[in-house]
Amino acid sequence: MPHSEHLSKQFDSDLEDIRSRVLQMGGLVESQIRSAIECLSSGDYDLMAQVTDGDRQVNSYEVEIDDACAHVIARRQPAASDLRLIMAVSKIVTDLERTGDEAEKIARMARQIYDRGRLQIPRSADVRHAGELAVAMLRRVLDAMARLDAQEAERIIAADATIDGEFRGIVRQLVTYMMEDPRTISTALDIVWVAKAIERIGDHIKNVAEQVIYIVHGTDVRHTTREIVPESDGGN
Amino acid sequence: MMPQEVSEIRMLIARHKRWDVVFGILGLVCLALGLMTFVTLFVDMLLDGYNRLTPEFFTSFPSRRSGQAGILSAWIGTTLVMLVTAVVAVPLGVAAGIYLEEYAPSNWVTHIIEINISNLAGVPSIVYGLLALGLFVYEFGLGQSIATAGLTLALLILPVVIVATREAIRAIPGAIREAAYALGATKWQVVQGHILPYSTGGILTGVIIGMARAIGETAPIITVGALTFIAFLPPSPVGSEFPFLSFEWLMSPFTVMPIQIFNWTSRPDPAFQANAAAAGFILVFMTLAMNGLAIWLRLRIRRNIKW
Amino acid sequence: MAEPKPALDTLPIKAAARRLNFYYGDFHALKTIDMPIHDKRVTALIGPSGCGKSTFLRCFNRMHDLYPGNRYEGEIRLLPDNVNLLDKGVDPIEVRMRLSMVFQKPNPFPKTIFENIAYGLRVRNVNKRAILEEKVEEALRGAALWNEVKDRLHEQAFNLSGGQQQRLCIARALATQPEILLFDEPTSALDPIATASIEELIAELKQKVTILIVTHNMQQAARVSDFTAYMYLGEMIEFGWTDDIFIKPTNPQTEAYITGRFG
Repeated sequence: MPHSEHLSKQFDSDLEDIRSRVLQMGGLVESQIRSAIECLSSGDYDLMAQVTDGDRQVNSYEVEIDDACAHVIARRQPAASDLRLIMAVSKIVTDLERTGDEAEKIARMARQIYDRGRLQIPRSADVRHAGELAVAMLRRVLDAMARLDAQEAERIIAADATIDGEFRGIVRQLVTYMMEDPRTISTALDIVWVAKAIERIGDHIKNVAEQVIYIVHGTDVRHTTREIVPESDGGN
Repeated sequence: MMPQEVSEIRMLIARHKRWDVVFGILGLVCLALGLMTFVTLFVDMLLDGYNRLTPEFFTSFPSRRSGQAGILSAWIGTTLVMLVTAVVAVPLGVAAGIYLEEYAPSNWVTHIIEINISNLAGVPSIVYGLLALGLFVYEFGLGQSIATAGLTLALLILPVVIVATREAIRAIPGAIREAAYALGATKWQVVQGHILPYSTGGILTGVIIGMARAIGETAPIITVGALTFIAFLPPSPVGSEFPFLSFEWLMSPFTVMPIQIFNWTSRPDPAFQANAAAAGFILVFMTLAMNGLAIWLRLRIRRNIKW
Repeated sequence: MAEPKPALDTLPIKAAARRLNFYYGDFHALKTIDMPIHDKRVTALIGPSGCGKSTFLRCFNRMHDLYPGNRYEGEIRLLPDNVNLLDKGVDPIEVRMRLSMVFQKPNPFPKTIFENIAYGLRVRNVNKRAILEEKVEEALRGAALWNEVKDRLHEQAFNLSGGQQQRLCIARALATQPEILLFDEPTSALDPIATASIEELIAELKQKVTILIVTHNMQQAARVSDFTAYMYLGEMIEFGWTDDIFIKPTNPQTEAYITGRFG
């Protein structure tokens, strides 16, 4: 990626604006997930309301950034790396928005669980661990995007399997839990939904990582099974 | 902008525009000066010679009696000499111009030739007269004939024709030339199909302006020995017997309008001055008519050419 | 767009520049250029002013031979007969009879519409009225101009609009059935609507003829071409599928130019 600037300063600042807004949006989504997980263990109703509010903000970020992308396409006819950035950003914000939705879903589940008056949550440590894993992955992918680091993006894609594993483990354990005590079934099911939401977040993050690779190399690695993405060819 | 600044700008513009007015007036005065001089001369000649502008004036030979003298031999002589001049100068000049523009390699020889053509246009006409006297009259034995005079004037206007041809060719945009070459045309195909047709207007203008200069030339014609008093016409170019065309007139003695005028002005009898004025008026009229023709031709030919 | 692109070396080639160098006097204008021109495809040459793209184009029909002091080195091979267009033994007129050119500004001759198109044929000693009429109509149809001018073939070409004049020039170039059509910034003097009609025409023409186009408008190259070559300071920096050049160029210099980071 060339480091030099465009002849048009306005173009530079438009692109920079888009990039930084995506990172802000990502930061917001990250804190949404963190809060949602926190709701689950603390049962803090205020925090749950905050997460619901926060999701509205995430949604408006998506609309704004998409709009800014449309502007750049209409006015600048971006090409090459600029074109790839804009294309990728408009997909990344969709994934971030859905990630936000999943966070909100977790908060909603927390409310359901606490409304039911259950204070003991089965497998809560495992769920918290999976959630922290997702938060860490999101932070890494945002970082990779900021630094245009395709190799890191590849590692993140590989890391998604860990979250999938966690999810399967939680479900398996919850099943035995439910068999032991049928009264816990509704709460356990809610926890399954929470775990599923975290697993979905992992998938969205993986999509973002794929877009980062597209920005850097111009190769579309979606829906491919191969593990090897072109070696970094000094295109930095 | 503040009203203060606006009024400052207006004053500045007014000050600058003053020079437009000053130069406009100055130019008009200069133009009027030149034009008025010419108009005065022209009108003065017309007034002096008005009474002599009768049909007989054109159909009579010169005479000792001013009232019977005419310009028949002079205007026919002038016409024939011009004919020879044009027939010789146009093909030579145009061909030379085309060669220099389209064919000549760009080297120092071509360069020297180009510079000298411009110089030739500035050589005094008497020098051409002397050259013609030595070359055509004595060396080639053409004598003091229409042919000699025509060739002399042809030499005189050749540089003008060459320069006019080159200018006309240069006015054709390079893109048009390239378009023709890009279609696979040879040099000659380009010259014949494009260069010549598109430059005809410009070339004709140049030729006619050259001719207008030649028509008034006196010095070289006297030098080659035109007669001042001719009471007969050259043999007719059209005969009644086969081959119907005759070129004997080429070798005939002759006179031309400027010489006739010069002859009359040197007479003591003031009545001849009126003859001279009338002939002068006709000569100027002929020149103006030729220039008019040049303008008309240029407009007509250039009508379809827009660049 | 979506169909997979065949590998470059499997495509038929119409012409190829091999180690082409060109000099204007002492100025080394083109530096060792190697490039294929694929058959029945549009190849665009882009690059900043003075990069040599027009100079390269004008090598193909030996336009440089019209002016003194120009020198070629290397080859431009025209297939299938594999003749070297730059060979000293090959007459530039022969080359120009095989390749046609459309110029930057519309440059019709100050003749009638009919005579403009017939000229290329007349140069080839085609003078029979019936044949000329047939070929002129065919060329005008090919240049999408027939319907607009069929009733005024004997009017002056200068009476046409700028866009029509340029299509007339394309018809003139087509009439002689060239093997390659060379376009030298053909829309730089036209308005956007006329430009769009010329671009549309180029897309149609590539069914029948190989096209090489120089353009200073990158978007135009992106719109009309199958292949794009980026040139800079007389060198061929990158050649490839237009999609690749505009989405993921491999050379950082191309990237900088395409994205407007040049300078």
